[in-house]
Amino acid sequence: MSELDGYSLRLYVAGQTPKSIAAIANLKKICDKHLPGRYEIEIIDLMKDPALAMRHQIVAIPTLIRQLPEPLKRIIGDLSNAEKVLVGLDIRPN
Amino acid sequence: MSQGDPKLPLFEDADETVAAIHQGDIDAVVVMRSLEGPQVILLHGAEEPYRVLVERMSDGALTTGPDGVVLYVNERLCELTGYPSSRLVGRGLNSLFEGEPPKLVPEVTAEASLLRNGDDAMPVAVWSRPISIADTTATLVRLSDLSIHRRAEQIAAAERFARSVLEQATEAVVVLSPDGHITHASWRAEQIAKRSPVGSKFSEVFQLEADSTPDARTLARFSAESLDTLLATRPFHGLEVKLCGDGAIKSTFLLSAGPLVDDNRTNVGSIVTLTDITERKRAEEQQTTMVAELNHRVKNILAIVQSVAAQTMRSSGSPENFAVAFDGRLKALAIAHDILTQTRWIGIGLSELLATMLAPYRAPEEPRISILGPAVLLPARAVVPLSMVLHELTTNAAKYGALSTRRGKIEITWQLGGGVDQSIELVWQERDGRKVKPPAQAGFGTKLIDRVISHDLDGKTRIDFDPAGIRYTLTFPVRGVATQRAATSGPATA
Repeated sequence: MSELDGYSLRLYVAGQTPKSIAAIANLKKICDKHLPGRYEIEIIDLMKDPALAMRHQIVAIPTLIRQLPEPLKRIIGDLSNAEKVLVGLDIRPN
Repeated sequence: MSQGDPKLPLFEDADETVAAIHQGDIDAVVVMRSLEGPQVILLHGAEEPYRVLVERMSDGALTTGPDGVVLYVNERLCELTGYPSSRLVGRGLNSLFEGEPPKLVPEVTAEASLLRNGDDAMPVAVWSRPISIADTTATLVRLSDLSIHRRAEQIAAAERFARSVLEQATEAVVVLSPDGHITHASWRAEQIAKRSPVGSKFSEVFQLEADSTPDARTLARFSAESLDTLLATRPFHGLEVKLCGDGAIKSTFLLSAGPLVDDNRTNVGSIVTLTDITERKRAEEQQTTMVAELNHRVKNILAIVQSVAAQTMRSSGSPENFAVAFDGRLKALAIAHDILTQTRWIGIGLSELLATMLAPYRAPEEPRISILGPAVLLPARAVVPLSMVLHELTTNAAKYGALSTRRGKIEITWQLGGGVDQSIELVWQERDGRKVKPPAQAGFGTKLIDRVISHDLDGKTRIDFDPAGIRYTLTFPVRGVATQRAATSGPATA
């Protein structure tokens, strides 16, 4: 994966809440389908360290942040609407 | 802190966050605590069903923080105000209301006017209770739309008002729906219909027939159905009708109909009135009869005056004599008419008539004329002729008889005869006057007396020239004469 075309994603979750679990599963499914081999996901559990929320002013959980490519983008929710996620992350379906 | 710049606004995408909370897309939030820093609060568990309940409730709901700032609004409140949640969250609670904001007392309902986007403020009931969210004291405020309730109250009040108007109406008033069915009826309408007419067609309850030929022609143009439709949809006025059918009230009614319109000025039926004009019709007929009667009487009076003038002229030797005699006779006529007017043409008691006509000759200190007889009510038609006769008798007595001397007296007595016609026999007896001699020929006064008694009163006159005093016996029928009292009036001497 090159840095130019890769996606660096960070998903903020709160432990094992239903929406957090759903968001992780939905995100992986979307990335596998539309960004095979071009993504990297970092899951941040704010239950363990709430202070990490400060970096991206996280209020709602789950929240997905696209760190790369720039600009920074934010999607709130459990990512069950794949189309909304693709639009939100600027990913063109293959 | 290394992870973020505390100067950046925490709610960068507040709308998106609020929307996600509403839609149930998230189940945890990060709350900033000044001492502990950020803290994660889970929304599921006890809060989740509560959130669902608040979100789905039919009333508007919001939560405020300790400072009165709106933190959350439900969908229903957005509908009620016409504003999206993003316009409501973050505002002070009091700014949502027009005029005096509600005073929040836990679990006590207050009323207020909720501001709305592009519309009139809405009356709402405001109820509140404190709630605790993650160690923070907030207030849940519920707002219930009172406009439907108010409208229902207004409709109920209008209905009560209309009902009381109908109940108090002395006329028969019914309200028709556009298809001609009666929806409301006044008390009088029920009385005339002899049952509750509500629910029936107008023509089923009120079977009409016209009261006059022109109205009959108008009514004949309509079938029962078309009359129902006409009354329910068109303004209509002035048809005089009677009710027909077994046991129908024998009254004359004025049938009228006017449109009934709602708030939007849409025709929603009509108000039909049956005004009882029986008494008015009777009064009109009575008035017509009275005018004809008056006309007849005026002509009679003129004929009498003409006749009296002609006869007085013939018997008067000079214009001066004519003036005196004619004046006396006209005065007698005037007195008779005064009596008729005062008694409203009912008539007068015979003793009252005698007392009135003879008043100028009855000085209290010199009782010269006595009046004695049973109480009799003279009919109006006898008053004028008898007044003329009494005038002539009095004038003769004053010129030639008992009243021409200082000691002369007159005794007037009468009695009632039997028979179908019931007659009066009145005796005018003069005494202590000049010595009476039969005249060579009858004077005009005597002729007039005889003529009036025979022609106008259908009676007879007898004159006895008794040397001690002249005596007139007048007999005439008084059909319709009523005996006023059983007792006699007693000797009315003066």
